Amino acid sequence: MSKTKWGCSLLLSLTLLLGACGNSGDGGGSVSEGSDGEGGSGDGEVTIDVYQFKVEFREQFEELIAQYEEENPDVTINVETVGGGNDYGATLKSKIASGEEPDIFNIGGPQDYEDHKDRIAPIEDSEAVDTALDGTLDAVTIDDQVYGIPYNLEGYGLIYNKQILDEAGINPEELTTMEDLQAATEKLDSMKEELGLDAVYAFPGKERWVYGNHTSSSFLAPEFNNNVMDAFAADTVEFELSEELKTYIDMQAEYSVTPVLSLDYSQQVEALYSMGKVAMIQQGNWAYPSVEQIAPEVAENSGILPIPVDGESKMPVGVPQYWVVNSGADEEVQTAAVEFLDWMYTSDAGKEIVLNEFNFIPAFENYDTSQISDPLSKEIYEYTEEGNTSGWVFLGYPTGFSEDVFGNNVQQYLSDEITWDEAMENSKEYWEENR
Amino acid sequence: MKTKSLMYWIFLAPVLAALLIVVVVPFVWGIYYSLTEWSGDMAQTPVFKGFDNYANLLSDPTFLSSLWFTFKYAIVTVVIINIVGFSLALIVTSYIKSKNILRTIFFMPNLIGGLILGFIWQFIFTNIFNAIGSAMGVEMLQGWLATPATGFWGMVILHVWQMAGYIMIIYIAYLQSIPDELLEAADMDGANYMQKLKNVIAPLVAPAFTVSMFLTLSGSFKIYDQNLSLTGGGPGGSTKMIAMDIVDTAFAMNTMGMAQAKAVVFFIIVAILSLTQVYYNKKKEVEL
Repeated sequence: MSKTKWGCSLLLSLTLLLGACGNSGDGGGSVSEGSDGEGGSGDGEVTIDVYQFKVEFREQFEELIAQYEEENPDVTINVETVGGGNDYGATLKSKIASGEEPDIFNIGGPQDYEDHKDRIAPIEDSEAVDTALDGTLDAVTIDDQVYGIPYNLEGYGLIYNKQILDEAGINPEELTTMEDLQAATEKLDSMKEELGLDAVYAFPGKERWVYGNHTSSSFLAPEFNNNVMDAFAADTVEFELSEELKTYIDMQAEYSVTPVLSLDYSQQVEALYSMGKVAMIQQGNWAYPSVEQIAPEVAENSGILPIPVDGESKMPVGVPQYWVVNSGADEEVQTAAVEFLDWMYTSDAGKEIVLNEFNFIPAFENYDTSQISDPLSKEIYEYTEEGNTSGWVFLGYPTGFSEDVFGNNVQQYLSDEITWDEAMENSKEYWEENR
Repeated sequence: MKTKSLMYWIFLAPVLAALLIVVVVPFVWGIYYSLTEWSGDMAQTPVFKGFDNYANLLSDPTFLSSLWFTFKYAIVTVVIINIVGFSLALIVTSYIKSKNILRTIFFMPNLIGGLILGFIWQFIFTNIFNAIGSAMGVEMLQGWLATPATGFWGMVILHVWQMAGYIMIIYIAYLQSIPDELLEAADMDGANYMQKLKNVIAPLVAPAFTVSMFLTLSGSFKIYDQNLSLTGGGPGGSTKMIAMDIVDTAFAMNTMGMAQAKAVVFFIIVAILSLTQVYYNKKKEVEL
């Protein structure tokens, strides 16, 4: 009797244990197959696992892949999309830690390259690399070897509502220095009621990336010769234009819808700018689709002007993310991955989708750029053509600098906990310690 | 006897194995990582650094400020949640008519996930409070979450709202198990309600205090999702709880070793506090 009982319980507990193990084993196996198991099939069929960050174009990207798979039946591409700065970096890390390394993934710039350099393959024989616009490959070129393919170009600055500026009698093209901008701001502020404005600006104090990445980058670019690699190599940061940066942030905060520190991106772009409650916001062309969805007439009437820095008015244009290929993947997968990326950016079918479906500003030559439809992207592209741009140096900041250090310090400054000088000192100190 | 104890272990084995795999092993690994410098990348080998990380903790301003913030927060929330939860329990165990529906309503916030709660309250604080404040000219209701103080109280309100109903359930269970004759005897002796509460009810629900205090204390220390969605640690990192600081150190700053050191220190603090609290509360309990 006791023997049967014994046996039963043993069986039961074993089943439980095995059940648990079996499950997890299965799950791991089937997913990771793509990254390390495809060599086995041997008849030229490859599976490419893509892990990418741009949520906005996921659907269109999947359509593009479907089209590619149709043309190349022996290639299967699996995409996984995880959005938003920190999330992507952290999940990529945990994905790699779990042994499911993607074959194609994204990096932002030299710091990301440093973090993942053991698994990033050099890209050779790629048409996309050959036709990439000047300067777009700087951030992923190490010792003359290219390691990434740019996504697209993006630019940011002050997005303004043309109609409101017209009514106030302000010509945005004349706002080329900080003094001009200040004068215009005061004028708009004095006419708030006639123009139906809540305030001149909507300064999203809650979104540290807006000033941590973009504003700071505009004012640090001259110091680093507009070159992200210079920023990445710099042991110290001086904030040479600290005074002007302060003026700009003070102005934004003073003439903004309040309370500044709890204002977020969606309030800034959707609730305030799109509804014509503010005249100008600091954002980039990525904000266009949201505005267009809510208020097409405001969107059409939008223009963008660069933040004036040091008396100059240059559009900060950069590459937000790069595609890189995993050097740990099989040879043939790596080749297929580069072929796919080439096809996306250089074949006629791919170009068509990149331009019209993704609504990208292409980072490559040989595009019919007259097809760029939204006015912000168009303006940014014009600045690029004229060569009147400044670099995105924030991609070369030390890890955590932009939001957790500079961003936090500006927030503390805005809530009067520290002075501007202290904020600058803290930021400089962190930079030196972390280089 | 021998088979019996063997049986005992066999039945325990699956749970023990699970516990070992998901708690003990990662815990030990974590302690090891806290002694290294490591970015969290599996391709890199952690470099052994001894107690460097722990030494650096003392000079890390964000760690100290978030630790202090978490302390303040935990004390305030533990007190308020237990007072509110106990009061609610008293209300719904009294003879009011709508007590069943009230129980459901009070408990409901606990069924909503922390992240969503954070976003709901963010909307309430920044939009609704603001609208009411500007319509009625009440300065106090404007600019919530934009200052450290309102961020703090915003977090407290959210957490109390979420947890009070849950704690209420625990108190209800104990309140209902108080024998009626004891309360009647107290009535006969001419005790008023406050005297009954103090001398009969409170000692008998003391075990519930132990459980609730433990749950709320450790819960308040470990809070993360509500923090993330409500304030995101802002403004200026002033409402960053210790859990969030650990996550940021690990995944935004890429210093996994440092983050692990913070986590170990955090674990020790929570363990000491919770155990002390349980020990003292246990002494107050009475047996019937």
